[in-house]
Amino acid sequence: MTAVELEGIWKRFPGVIANAGASLSVRSGTVHAVLGENGAGKTTLMNVLAGVYTADEGSVRLDGVEQRFANPAAAIAAGVGMVYQEFRLIPTFSVAENVALGAAPAIVAKGAIEKQVGELAERFGLATEPGRQVWQLSMGERQRVEILKALWRDAKVLILDEPTAVLTPAEAEELGRITSAMASEGRSIIFISHKLDEVKAFCDEATVLRGGKTVASSLPVDELDPASMAELMVGEATAVSQRRVRTTEVGATALSVTNVTVVDVHGRHVVDDVSLSVGAGEIVGIAGVAGNGQRPLADALAGLTSLRSGTVSVSGTDVSALSPGDRNDAGLAYVPEDRLGVGLAPRMDAVENAMMRNYKTLGSGAFVDRKAAFDQAEGLIDRYQIKVGKIDAPLAGLSGGNLQRLLVGRELDGEPEVLIAAQPTRGLDVQGVAAIQNILVEQAAAGVGILLISEDLEELFALSDRLLVMHEGKIAANFDPDAATRHAVGAAMTGA
Amino acid sequence: MFGYRLARREKPLPGGQLVAFLVGLTGALIVGAILLIATGFSPIEIYIEMADSAFGSRQAWSSTLTQAVPLGLAGLAVAVAGSMGLWNIGAEGQIIAGAIAGAWVARLGPDLPGPLLIVIMLVAAVVGGGLLALGPALARAHLGVNEIITTLMLNEIAIRMVRYLVNGPWQDPTAVGFPVAPVLPEQAALPVLFNRANIGVLIAAVVLLVFGVFASRSKWGFELRVAGSSAKAAEYIGISLKAKIMTVLILSGSIAGLAGGIRLNSSDRIVEGISEGWGFAGIIVAALALMRPSGVAAVAIAFGALRVGGTAIQTQGVSASISDIIQALVLMGALAAAVFTTYQITRVGSGGQAEDNSAPDVSATGPATIEAGQ
Repeated sequence: MTAVELEGIWKRFPGVIANAGASLSVRSGTVHAVLGENGAGKTTLMNVLAGVYTADEGSVRLDGVEQRFANPAAAIAAGVGMVYQEFRLIPTFSVAENVALGAAPAIVAKGAIEKQVGELAERFGLATEPGRQVWQLSMGERQRVEILKALWRDAKVLILDEPTAVLTPAEAEELGRITSAMASEGRSIIFISHKLDEVKAFCDEATVLRGGKTVASSLPVDELDPASMAELMVGEATAVSQRRVRTTEVGATALSVTNVTVVDVHGRHVVDDVSLSVGAGEIVGIAGVAGNGQRPLADALAGLTSLRSGTVSVSGTDVSALSPGDRNDAGLAYVPEDRLGVGLAPRMDAVENAMMRNYKTLGSGAFVDRKAAFDQAEGLIDRYQIKVGKIDAPLAGLSGGNLQRLLVGRELDGEPEVLIAAQPTRGLDVQGVAAIQNILVEQAAAGVGILLISEDLEELFALSDRLLVMHEGKIAANFDPDAATRHAVGAAMTGA
Repeated sequence: MFGYRLARREKPLPGGQLVAFLVGLTGALIVGAILLIATGFSPIEIYIEMADSAFGSRQAWSSTLTQAVPLGLAGLAVAVAGSMGLWNIGAEGQIIAGAIAGAWVARLGPDLPGPLLIVIMLVAAVVGGGLLALGPALARAHLGVNEIITTLMLNEIAIRMVRYLVNGPWQDPTAVGFPVAPVLPEQAALPVLFNRANIGVLIAAVVLLVFGVFASRSKWGFELRVAGSSAKAAEYIGISLKAKIMTVLILSGSIAGLAGGIRLNSSDRIVEGISEGWGFAGIIVAALALMRPSGVAAVAIAFGALRVGGTAIQTQGVSASISDIIQALVLMGALAAAVFTTYQITRVGSGGQAEDNSAPDVSATGPATIEAGQ
């Protein structure tokens, strides 16, 4: 019996098609994996099912009945629950209060709710203490509260968006037991994941998305192997048109990273003993599935996150102890993953954003030389063909491509030795992607050492001189992009 | 699921600040007119009286400017912190702390020559206001404790402190039981500029001008605004947020302290009600100036005029409550209109539709970020 049937789902956002006729069919009483790279459209598809978005086209059926959810509440009422990667819990409320919030009688005894929540938890083997406040719980326990919330509302279909990303291996195993307990009651679980071993251990069937489309539906997981899964996720090797001519002579070491370890607030080693180097004029690519340490690595190199151990050097100078600003002065430029909010200040205008790196040298003394700042911004706008509308309007209204040109342009204006570019083309349209990639290639030719962190394999194969793969915080593999196959890289990304 | 909600404008309405004020003023005057007619007054006469008593003569201007001094400095204190996204709700307490510090210095050296005594008292007031902000600054910078709560609570401490002093150790023995401190030395009075206005007006004007220019033109002001726009962007360019929070909150307290000092040196002694709620009014001033230090002075003068005019019409027989209501209406109208310079009302459809029209950035897409496919 089919519990969930999504057919021909289209969902467009300004400048982005997130779902292009995607479909999904989940049988009741099964755990169904949804696989795909970042940007494949998984989360959008799930949000359509959960009532967060309304599909532009296509149909949603639950138990054969056509549905059109106007909002998440309608989806919950129809029995669809979703557990997001970022939990939606009130830290100062107890477990029971969080579970029952918005779905309890108007007047109710605290003890009664705690008892009922406790019974529900026990029924599914969810170890939890209903009276404890959420802020005291580990990430695994918080996730169980989210699952309880869905069960409390009697969800027949439970969507788990990358549920193991925040869990320890033991907690992940526990989650596997919980999902099978729920499935054995006839509920359906949709399990979004990148990790093949988990999919094999926890799931019955798998659907693979790529580029907003479904490329394989309801495959029995027993038939999946690392190679075929990677191939489905990243696609066949296509002829790369603008493949860059590799750097033949690598200059002196521009960036040297030695045994760098970064620990997050939960004490996990998100970057684990990473060493790498980038020569002048070289582009070194880092591939990896999102959440395998790329972001903390980039932030740590730029000085935004502190190192637990290890050293970072720029052109032979140890910058490990320097502030982000001083590292920039030492020749390290950084295009962060979050363009607006980290790299650029949304409520400030183009002139002010353009001077963020060198405002201290614009004008002597305490005041900014307005003329120089203005000229500098005009120069960037001219050189990188940025469309800003009014130069003194807040940036928030600009398109992604223009924001990125401004950011990349500003970072390169200081003539750095090293550029760290994190997801520099993500979310841009075709022209935007080409413009940014061309800039990177030009800069490499001019002798800048570039560390390119991307989830777009196409891009990495086209631009990199060397290709590293990050998996679970470590450099898991090292490829020559001319010789490597997508297969092999994809397999390394999924930890196979 | 259809309804309306406020959405941030991509760019503030051009000329918004002035338009907002005029629209709010007109609306408030219309509602006020109804109240005045209902209580038997001619609104036109009353409004003319208000304007006349605030701006109609040198005497009127001197009253308005004298009110505008503490309003402007308190507003500046709030706006300086506000440009970095911090809320100093404690200007009221910092004004009092400034006055206490000034009065204390005057008790130590009552025989100092006038100019020296005035300078020392004002410096002490600046230090006093800053000291009251020190705790909240440390707690916010190093422990992340919300400064709204700490600065607000310290108001109560300061208010009780001055009450204790004038009822206890500082009580004037010749005042037979009245809760007042002894009169200040005569030479501590600020020199008169014209009519009721003293040199405090000039001091406040210079401070407002310096900060107005500094906040918008200097490197320091730039850092402040980057931090206010995005804390992460500030860290990214190497600004130490901790140091910035410390300096900005203490500076904010010091500016409010200066207001207390000027008030003290404009009156003959420290009393319980040394601040007439200027610290709280300063929050409104800063909000009307859209948290821009450069806009504070104009708002403070308008606000001062409103207070002077509101008091003056009471002498015409308008009850104090009606006068207060008219003042409140004007402020509410201006504040409401100010909201629309940065926000607009948009009609939203069903849950899903509302998200569709917004740009795909994290803040605008609601519960989940969009996976940007290529």
